[in-house]
Parts: sequence; C-alpha cells; structure tokens
Amino acid sequence: MTGLLSMLNPGWLLIAVGLVALFLPMRRVRQGLTIAAPIVAILLISVADRNTNLLTGHALGLEMIFYRVDNLSYIFGLAFLLAALLNAIYAWHTDDRLQDGMSIAYAGAAVAATFSGDMMTLFVFWELTAVTSVFLILRAGTRAAYFASMRYLGIQVLSGVLLLAGIGYVYHARGDVSISAFTSLSEPGALLVFIALGIKAAFPFLHNWLQDSYPKATVVGAVVLSAFTTKLAVYAFARMFPGQDALIWIGAVMTVFPVFFAVIENDLRKVLAYSLNNQVGFMICAIGLGAAGVGNALALNGAAAHAFCHIIYKGLLFMSMGAVLYRTGTTKASELGGLYKSMPWTTVFCIIGAMSISAFPLFSGFAAKSLTMSAVGQEGYTIVWLMLLFASAGVLEHSGIKIPYFAFFGHDSGKRVKEAPFNMLLAMGLASFICIAVGIPAIVPGLGYEWLYNLLPYRVEAMAYQPFTLGHVLTQMQLLVLAIFAFVMLKRLGWYPAEKPGVVLDSDWVYRKAGYGLATWSGTVWQKAGPALSAIFFKLTGRAYDRIEATFSPRGELARGALTAGMAIWTAILLGFVLLMSFVTAG
Amino acid sequence: MSDDTPNDTRDTSGRFVKRAAEKAHQLHTPSEDGVHPMAKILFGWTESRLAGTAIFWGVGLLSAFLIVIDLWVDRHEYVHMAEATGFYGLWGFASFAFVVLMGWPLARLLRRSETYYGDPGGPPADIDPDVPLAPDTAPTYPHEGDED
Repeated sequence: MTGLLSMLNPGWLLIAVGLVALFLPMRRVRQGLTIAAPIVAILLISVADRNTNLLTGHALGLEMIFYRVDNLSYIFGLAFLLAALLNAIYAWHTDDRLQDGMSIAYAGAAVAATFSGDMMTLFVFWELTAVTSVFLILRAGTRAAYFASMRYLGIQVLSGVLLLAGIGYVYHARGDVSISAFTSLSEPGALLVFIALGIKAAFPFLHNWLQDSYPKATVVGAVVLSAFTTKLAVYAFARMFPGQDALIWIGAVMTVFPVFFAVIENDLRKVLAYSLNNQVGFMICAIGLGAAGVGNALALNGAAAHAFCHIIYKGLLFMSMGAVLYRTGTTKASELGGLYKSMPWTTVFCIIGAMSISAFPLFSGFAAKSLTMSAVGQEGYTIVWLMLLFASAGVLEHSGIKIPYFAFFGHDSGKRVKEAPFNMLLAMGLASFICIAVGIPAIVPGLGYEWLYNLLPYRVEAMAYQPFTLGHVLTQMQLLVLAIFAFVMLKRLGWYPAEKPGVVLDSDWVYRKAGYGLATWSGTVWQKAGPALSAIFFKLTGRAYDRIEATFSPRGELARGALTAGMAIWTAILLGFVLLMSFVTAG
Repeated sequence: MSDDTPNDTRDTSGRFVKRAAEKAHQLHTPSEDGVHPMAKILFGWTESRLAGTAIFWGVGLLSAFLIVIDLWVDRHEYVHMAEATGFYGLWGFASFAFVVLMGWPLARLLRRSETYYGDPGGPPADIDPDVPLAPDTAPTYPHEGDED
C-alpha cells in the first residue's frame, strides 16, 4: 500500500480525533467521529505492510520509528481499536466533550505506542496514556475520585520517568533506542524498564493504583480504562522481556493473590479490578515462558490470545456493571440483587462475559487460556501450573459467579429500574458476539477460534493447536462444574460469607494510611518544633557572636595591651613570606 | 378457518403489523411492578421454589457424570498428577471452597469501615439523572485521611 495513509499511525488519527472532540460542541457529530475513527483505524492496520518501518524520523540524534506493524503489534492494536469502537458506542448516551475526547485520545495513545518501533516514541505515548486517562477518573466528580486520580497520575508518571531513565541507559549502552528484547535484567537499563512496565502491568505490591482508581471512575470511564493501560504493558513485556524467568513466578503470584481480595470485596467494580490483575497474571506468566526470538510459540500465542479476549470480555463485564451503576447508582453487592427482573438483557450479557472469563468451552476465554495452560504444563512448571489452575477456579468464583449472582440474582434488593440504554445494550451485545464468535469451534474453517488463532504472532504453531479435544473440554468442564458445585453447596450450608459494606485493606495502606499519617505527623511536629528550634539556633548564635565580639572587636580582649602590636607584626611577616614563596615558585 | 382479527391490524399486504409491533412493545415494556417481560421468559424459572434444589442436584449429578466418564477418556497430560481420574474436578472443588472459606478470616482481618480512608465518595457524576441519591452518599469528611 502506498500513499500518505499508509504512513499514518492509526493511533495518531485517534489522538487527533480526541483533540477535535474536546472542542466540538455538536454532540452527535462528535460521537460519530469517535465511532468512525476506530473503524478507519482498523482498515488502516489491516492493509498496512508488515515488518516494515512505515514512518521514521530523526530527532536529537535518535532514529525514531513512528509506525511499524508486525504480527504481535497487530493483534494488540486490533484489540485496542475494537475496544475503542465498543467504548464509543457505550458512551453514546452521554454528552461530555472532555470524556469523549480523552477516551478516544487515550485509546489512540495506546495504539500509537503499540505500533511504535523505538523506545522514545513508546515513552511519549506511554506518558500520554497516563495524562489522557486520568480525566476519566477525575470526571466522576467525587472527592474520593479526585484523590484517587492524583495518586493514579503520580504512579503512572513515575512509571514513565523510570522508563525514560531506563531508555537513557539503553541508549548509552547500545547507541540506539530501537525496541528489542532484553536478554537479561542485568543489562544496562533493563531493570528500570522492567519496573516501569511492572507498574503499568500492576505487579504485586505495585498494583494498588488499579483497584484504587478504576472503581472510582465514571460509568463510561471504568470501561475505557479496563482495556488499555495494563494490556499495553503486557504488549511491552512481550516485546522486550519474552522468556524472562522472573515473569513466570510474578505472573503466577498475580493470578493467585487477587482471588482472596476479590472474594471479600463488596464493590463489584473493584472485584473486576482485582479480576483484571488476576487475568494479566496469566499473560505475564505466559510471556515469561516464551523465550526471545522463535522461542516458545505456544506461550507467546497464549499471552496474545488471552490479551485479545480479555480486552473484550473484561470490557463487557465492566459495561454490565456500568449499566447497573448507571441505573441504580451503586455497584455494592450488599445493596444489589434481583436486578434480572428489570435488567434481563444486561443480565444475559453479563453472564456471557462471566462465562468467557471463566473459560467455559464455547466461549473466548477457553480458546485463549488453553494455550497458556498447555505451555506451562509442557515446560514442566508443575507448581506454577497448579497455581494457575487454582486461579482458574478463583476467576470462576469472583468474576464467573459473584458478579452476576450478587448483582442480578441472590437476595432481591427490591430495586426496580429501567433496562440499560439501547446503546449500552448494543455495545454489550457486540462484545458478547465477539466472546462467542472466537470461542466456538471452527465449523467453518477460518472462523470460530481459528479466526483468532490466525491473528496470533506464531500463526503456524497456533493453527496446529487443537483446543477442542475431548480431554481439554472434559477437564475444563470438570474444573468449572465441580467449582460451581462447591458454590451451590456452600450457599446451601450457609458457609458463603455475606456481602458486607466496608473497605478491604490492601498494600496501599502503606502509603494511604501509614505514609499519609507519617507525613501529616511530621508536618505537625515540624510546625511545633520549627519555632522552638529557630529560637535555640538564634540563642546559640547570639551567644557565640557576643563571645567573638568580646574577644576580637576593637574593644575586645585581644585589642588591649602589647599583644595587638605583636599580632600586627606577625601578620605582616606571614603575608610577606607567602608573597615571597609565590614569587619564587612562579619564577 | 375463520380469521377474527380486526382489519386494522393488517397492512396493505395483509400482514399483522400492528399486532407484531404491539407484541414487540409489550416485550420491552416493564409491568407496573417494574418487572421486565423478558425477565420472566429468560429467568422466570429461577423463581420456582424448587429451583435451588434442582440446581443443587443438577450440578451434583453433572459433576458425578463428568468424573465417571473420565474413567474412559484417554487424556494426555504434561503434568503427571493430572492424569488421576477426576483430578481437575477435585482441584476445582477444593480451590473454590478454600477461597470462599478463607473469606471469613480475611474479612475479619482486613475489612474496615467505609470511611476508613476518609470520604468514600458517592456514585460518579454520569449516572442516570433519574436515580434518587441516598442521603448517606454525601461526603462525610472534607479530606481523605482526615478523620478527626
């Protein structure tokens, strides 16, 4: 493909549309643009030449690659653009220039970063994702959202700063900043880049920005946020750290620990945020298995497929909870229940999202997760494999059952509301369609799961993999059905913990409570100790001055008697000696 | 067979346009008690008294069936222990039960008041304007962390 369009990074198009949308008061025109832009962008990447630098530039002595498409970036870019399209449809009922503009610009920044071929370009759009997305939290308008957005921005910018520092080391060592895989964390700059990416991927103990901010975002904002930041980090890891052993264990821990928080969390959007953590863990683990270069194709295919499916089904789940929030004003499980009576279509779509994330056969999660699980088993990581299997049952608990059960069934809250607006239902319907379409067997060759596998980075290996074997289906159904049986049994016995309002403490307690407390305590102490310390300082310096004055001043001790004249003579002799020495050495 | 449908329900081609439209209208018009008609069609069965028992036994029997047929299915596993009959089912059951039961001590350990970090915040600004706000959604503290 030739011409100017072939060189246009579709992310830039989305950012430009975002900027226009900010100043465009005509609501339907603005929203039409936000829907049209992702469609045009999908067309652009579909016809773009692969593995070619389509747009390059030079700045500050660096060679920048602004637009490059290959198999790995294509599937992530496509998923981002589909999410942008669904998000724009989902937001059709709103009239908010800032939110419309920032949503599409945020998607554009993620897409532009995905198709960038050098680290400096990646860094610019990496930061732009932070700056644009923060408005989706701020726009909620609550005080809690304001504080969360500031914490979010601080942590996201920190990630960018670390990335930039890492790029500096990389440039110093390699002499260029093109994106290529690190072979070891001991390479110059590798650890800084690793931590920068780890922050955005919400690694354990770096994860709290996610659970803190997403549930406080606007109805539309949380849906938009769920798609891009963490998956951009996953993409960057797949690009720069494939086969990094540490990722296997970090990913495995990421899949397990959120499960325990999700089970006691009352806010269902926060449950989904923990669930997001857990799902990203599967991808990170798979990337850790995929060695650089040809490597473990099954694992990298698993990460890419999982990211694609996850973007859609997680978006769908956030959409359904968004619809509930929109109509009822809350997503607290303790205040919900019985909503299927008034929101049956939302219930159906939520169940489809729940079955997809739980990886039921015939839904997208199954086609994607099978790749990762097979790769982990094949590589002989038994403990990791058991952890992922445990986490799969955990996903069923919090996203597969808890979300739909406590929102739409369970104890009837008596809330009788209107069904979600049509545009929300349409977006959820389209997302549901994708969840099923890529999850079903390839009855028609090239469709069903084969359509997804065809897009994966290692296409040949992907097409050789068969998810729908009797063994796969049986074992997955065993896992899920017996886990459901555990739920039914625990409910019947009354052993399932009731949903109660409250805040669940996580590691962000360290800075939100202990750190904040220490800072305010230090401030109070300084406020009181400061004047006292100043008084002591002035008292001591005053006394010292008085002593010095009493000794050396013209009226002082040393100025009295014969000593004064002697001192003057000795000073003159010393000065003369210094002058003489300098004259001799200079000569 | 006689057709007692009033004439005004047919269009010029004789199709029952108005009736179909009315039917469609009925299908998305909630009843007076706020229940959506589709809810009864899709999920009405869950309201049955026997639904809970039926689900319990249905899922139980399905679980047993899945384990029993595992005896005859030749599975190829990379992890040796997974070759045991019903391994996945037992692991799923045990994992799920463990996670849920851990919820009891964890909730006691980690759950605090909603105002623990200060103002918990109400719903976001872009919810349906028709939703009546509960009185307790007003900010409780002027700043996060200010509890005194």
